Amino acid sequence: MKKIFDIMTFYDKIFIIAVIAISILILLYPIIFNRYTDNGEEYIVIRSGSEVVERIPIEETYDEKMEIEVNGPIGTSHIEAYEGKVRLYEAPPDDPLKTCEKTGWIDKPGPSIICIPNKVSINIEKLDGDLDGVSW
Amino acid sequence: MFDNRNSLQKSVIIGLLVSIGLILHVVEGMLPMNAVVPGAKLGLANISNLLGLFLFGFQAGLQILILRIVLGSLLAGTFMTINFYFSLSGGLLGFLAMAVVYYCLSSCFSIIGVSVVGSVFHNLGQVLIAYFIIVSGGIFYYLPFLLLLAVPTGLGVGLVSYFTLNYLPEEGVYA
Repeated sequence: MKKIFDIMTFYDKIFIIAVIAISILILLYPIIFNRYTDNGEEYIVIRSGSEVVERIPIEETYDEKMEIEVNGPIGTSHIEAYEGKVRLYEAPPDDPLKTCEKTGWIDKPGPSIICIPNKVSINIEKLDGDLDGVSW
Repeated sequence: MFDNRNSLQKSVIIGLLVSIGLILHVVEGMLPMNAVVPGAKLGLANISNLLGLFLFGFQAGLQILILRIVLGSLLAGTFMTINFYFSLSGGLLGFLAMAVVYYCLSSCFSIIGVSVVGSVFHNLGQVLIAYFIIVSGGIFYYLPFLLLLAVPTGLGVGLVSYFTLNYLPEEGVYA
């Protein structure tokens, strides 16, 4: 082990330490800033029935709250998106169970908010995920 | 007469280095390094280009690199597929970085440093070409892991090359 350090020059060690430091910084970057910086672009997709009503890049919701109203068969659903999360905060008064209100916030692809009486569905979609295309 | 002998010796040694690189390339493909990080490799085949660069200079090293990648991908059956382009892009960028460091900064970096630079730039080249193939920023998620792995593998390759160079005769063989 001592011999390796004899062979290596000062700049070798500087370079190695710099590479390790940079890669650790890149690793820590998403943790520090607490954002999905390294993921693919994510979109909040709101559907009424089968047609897409709104398609919002999730980055737009980090800084200011967005409110969206979607009209369905039994009334208006009020949706808000903030800090990368989305929820349906007010279902129409005629909605018997208000399941979509009780779902709460969603912030990643997978779970979705669905209001069957008003035919509204909200989910987060990724155009290209970080793992889907990777195999070699 | 003497010149002929020297160039013949040079060709023979380059051929030997290519074949050593090929064997290392094929053996390396069998090692299950994908368990650590997908796409990670030991980079053993880099030993042959590194030796070529240090013994004969830029041109011979580039010859060894390209011959090794083309023949290796023919052997593995991946010629002109994505794997081939990954090897080629990573190999070329790594080799160019090594050559720049070897020629311009040789007073600062030892062979181990040159090897670490090569393996770091090899990974950078591969990630860049992967970014162009699947246009997804998510590929850069792998970069820090690959860079962290590049340091020990580059150190290992550099040490092997250093000890190999020590065993080779100093003068006379290499024109």
